[in-house]
Amino acid sequence: MAVKQMQYVVIGASAAGMAAAEAIRKLDSQGSIIVLSEEQDMPYFRPMVPFIINGKKKFPEMMLIGQGPYQGANIGVRLDSRVKAVNTAEQKVSIKSGEELLYDKLLVATGSLPNIPSDIKGVEAEGVFVLRTIADARAIARRAETARHAVMLGGGLLNLKAAFALLERGLDVTLIVKSPNVLSRLMEPDDTVLIREALNKAGMKLMTGSNVTQILSDSTGVIGVLLESGREIACQMVCIGKGIRANVEFLDKSGILVDQGVVVDKFTRSNIQNVFAAGDVAVTFDPITGERIVTGLWTNAAEMGNCAGRNMAGQPSIYSGTFGILNATQVADEPFVSMGIVHTKGTDYETHIRATPKTYRKLVFTPDGTRLVGALFIGDISKAGLYRYIIRERMPVKDIKSDIVNHRLHYGYFLR
Amino acid sequence: MSQSKEIFVRLDRCVGCHTCKIACSVEHSKSKNLFEAISEQPTPKTRVYVEWVPPDRKVPILCRHCEDAPCMHACISGAISRTEEGIVITNSDKCIGCWTCVMVCPYGVIGRHLETRKAYRCDRCPDIQSPACVDACPTQALVYRSVAAFSGDVRQDVAREMVSGEGR
Repeated sequence: MAVKQMQYVVIGASAAGMAAAEAIRKLDSQGSIIVLSEEQDMPYFRPMVPFIINGKKKFPEMMLIGQGPYQGANIGVRLDSRVKAVNTAEQKVSIKSGEELLYDKLLVATGSLPNIPSDIKGVEAEGVFVLRTIADARAIARRAETARHAVMLGGGLLNLKAAFALLERGLDVTLIVKSPNVLSRLMEPDDTVLIREALNKAGMKLMTGSNVTQILSDSTGVIGVLLESGREIACQMVCIGKGIRANVEFLDKSGILVDQGVVVDKFTRSNIQNVFAAGDVAVTFDPITGERIVTGLWTNAAEMGNCAGRNMAGQPSIYSGTFGILNATQVADEPFVSMGIVHTKGTDYETHIRATPKTYRKLVFTPDGTRLVGALFIGDISKAGLYRYIIRERMPVKDIKSDIVNHRLHYGYFLR
Repeated sequence: MSQSKEIFVRLDRCVGCHTCKIACSVEHSKSKNLFEAISEQPTPKTRVYVEWVPPDRKVPILCRHCEDAPCMHACISGAISRTEEGIVITNSDKCIGCWTCVMVCPYGVIGRHLETRKAYRCDRCPDIQSPACVDACPTQALVYRSVAAFSGDVRQDVAREMVSGEGR
């Protein structure tokens, strides 16, 4: 008996979309897999785009297909194919060119878009950037050839990385942050001492608690920014890193339920049959707090995409959710990992802090002290994955609590 | 089909002598010689760890080259891949030192080389027949066998113990 060949259509060719395509191909060697990308470039590792700004890597070194787990053959990636609309009744998507594609299973993996606050005037000037795609990075690099001073708005991780990349190119960089500290989503002001030191040492100017109301420009593009305080700062380029929002506008008339992002169940299914969603565009949940969250992290997107791909290919797989906060990176010479609940000011969480001149560790337990719910490591992040495991599995920590607090924990404790 | 081998740990045999760590560091040095390795820059690193669980258990821990390796899927630069032999390897040239793999490894066996800002882990010693840690272990707490052969050994050992126990 001939089995009908499945048509899988994936919208979005970044972490979630490509991981899903990979997972589908593993389970279904016959089905047709088409991945639609609105970009002009073949899929790449998006977190690496800052390397285009500082020139440390060239595009071919960032390409995704053929690297790491992305080995699957026969995955059709179509570039410059932005999806205009999804017709869930007829199971088809229409793309920019006017072409329509039928699907048996559809994955929405369109990721997120940079959020540009409406209260900043003058954002359309030449020399104002967001950093999201490789094309953005190239544009930033071009402007940086002539610019002397860059102002970065927002103290999130990607903006920090972009700031460092510009510093490395020899520009002066001023980071302007509304909140009292950088990385406010990942740590509290008191936790950022080492990070601030690292920024200072690298030569970055940091202005916290400040807000830009207008970007000033003339025929040459950006010439400065105007602060709420009335002060002007001269600069030739501005990068806006003020958070992200799910890329869902094209789903407006599709009937697919959207609330901040595409709402999915634990099998990554949307409210419409045969439509799945994964990555930044999907609303998932935090296993610790139970809250519905939208994350913006490559690692989460790849994991969720992988799960969605298996579900689409007919192997039911439960997505276990992810922490609202989960991030590892290195800022200048300071590596850090932040995961789970790390904002404890004014809460009942039992918090243990160990600080040395070179390292900072914050461990957060439930108010009754029986479970670990969050961890922040700066300087020494060794074995961070073990702590993530304890948090995610909601393990009772009774016997190993002092080892957790004193950084003596190792896998041997779980081999009883 | 020949079955690929793995490194198994026999916890009851480990005496915590740390010989495996020295052998691992030397094998991953430029000179492959203990006395020169000590002064090499960057410092050669061990990829096997010997931990202690109170009161008296010693536990060698090393990369398990997981079937569904979280580090490989989490990597943001495509530096981690699986070889045909099933070994999960980190390509240093591609590693950007973001430590995402460290954040997701539930065994805590991915090391950070601070001088080179690269992640490293057990590579099962690709240049030699049997991994250096296994060869060096004086009590054979580490063994390099296929899953089938190792589980066969375990069954035989248990049977032998039961038989000898009956004789007492």
